[in-house]
Amino acid sequence: MAKTDAVTWSPRRMLRWVEGVDGVDLALRLTLLTLLLRQIGTGVVRPLILGLAVLGLLLPNLLCQPSLWIALTVLTGLRVVFDWSVADNHAYLLCYWCFAVSLALMSQGVDRCLSLNGRLLIGWAFAFAAVWKLVLSPDYLDGRFFRVIMLTDTRFADFAQLAGGLSADLLADLRGFVQGQPVESLTPPHEPARFLWLAQGMTIWTVLIEGAVALAFLSPPGWGLSRLRDTLLLCFCLTTYIIVPVEGFG
Amino acid sequence: MTQTGTSEEAKRNRWWWYLPCAALIGVACYQIWLTQSAALSPWSGGGFGMFSTTDGWGDRFLQVVALRPGVRRELEIPPALREVTRRVRAFPSEANLRAFAMALVDAPTPDSGPLEAIEIYVWSTNYDPITLAPTPSLLRSLRVPIGED
Repeated sequence: MAKTDAVTWSPRRMLRWVEGVDGVDLALRLTLLTLLLRQIGTGVVRPLILGLAVLGLLLPNLLCQPSLWIALTVLTGLRVVFDWSVADNHAYLLCYWCFAVSLALMSQGVDRCLSLNGRLLIGWAFAFAAVWKLVLSPDYLDGRFFRVIMLTDTRFADFAQLAGGLSADLLADLRGFVQGQPVESLTPPHEPARFLWLAQGMTIWTVLIEGAVALAFLSPPGWGLSRLRDTLLLCFCLTTYIIVPVEGFG
Repeated sequence: MTQTGTSEEAKRNRWWWYLPCAALIGVACYQIWLTQSAALSPWSGGGFGMFSTTDGWGDRFLQVVALRPGVRRELEIPPALREVTRRVRAFPSEANLRAFAMALVDAPTPDSGPLEAIEIYVWSTNYDPITLAPTPSLLRSLRVPIGED
């Protein structure tokens, strides 16, 4: 039998490799990859961000230079400033994160600064999201939000039919009704009970999981829910993005 | 691997490490204030109100009326102003509404006479809690006189 020189990846070997990965290096590279693969900004901002992301990935010496990340903070910040009233939340988060990386690379304790900011940014983002749903929104807790969005946002169409029990025709009728199109029959189309229960379930689940993620990430490490923070965040990702992939925020 | 200092000083979190988080909190609180006081869409502005309410900027619509002597004419918004329209729907501030009105001054109409004013109405959509029947709700309106100093 021929003897090969190929390296075999046993589970133990893989675990040792994972444990040996520099978390800071990985976080920075993943951030640059995000900047590279998503169309960030408009006009002159976009090619500048792309160029810096490419340079940071190709040149190891540049990756951990504060100047690179200060430049990215400025550019992602400009993108937010120019479009502040229409920019999505993840545009703001990206700017905050580049700012955090800049500060970390200028500090002793790069990994502690980054992990602190990662934890707090996630925690506060989810906290505000939960506050909006629980306190500020006039049409969330009664289920109206999910009823309307499942009918009008085409990303939910498959899910609304599969889990909500809507036929394609009923979905089209309900969508037309909610969007203010004239209704042919004398009575408006009726949402089935299963759809209403689904909307209410999603309403409650979303606010619970977002609140739990906020508590877990804002609690000091080792306290209470903090031990479950990664599990809760992954749970949020699974239950949200399996239904509708909001890539930017993800 | 990054080397961390072993002294207590090196292990302390620095106050400036909290600046990104402070920025997030400050911007989010400001966004909440703008949504309550200036009709900013909760989906915008960095406050994490997205997916909490049906009042996204996409669910708002604009109505523009040109006023000439004896004539009120509703205007069709040119596609070229799509980006401006988007901003006005998301944040119908007085400045944004005025800029929008000025961008429509030259919009063609079949009417004669000098353009006296442009009126802009920003509508949101409310949905009945039981039937989801949509009802328009006036968020803001502004009358912009044209040609006055």
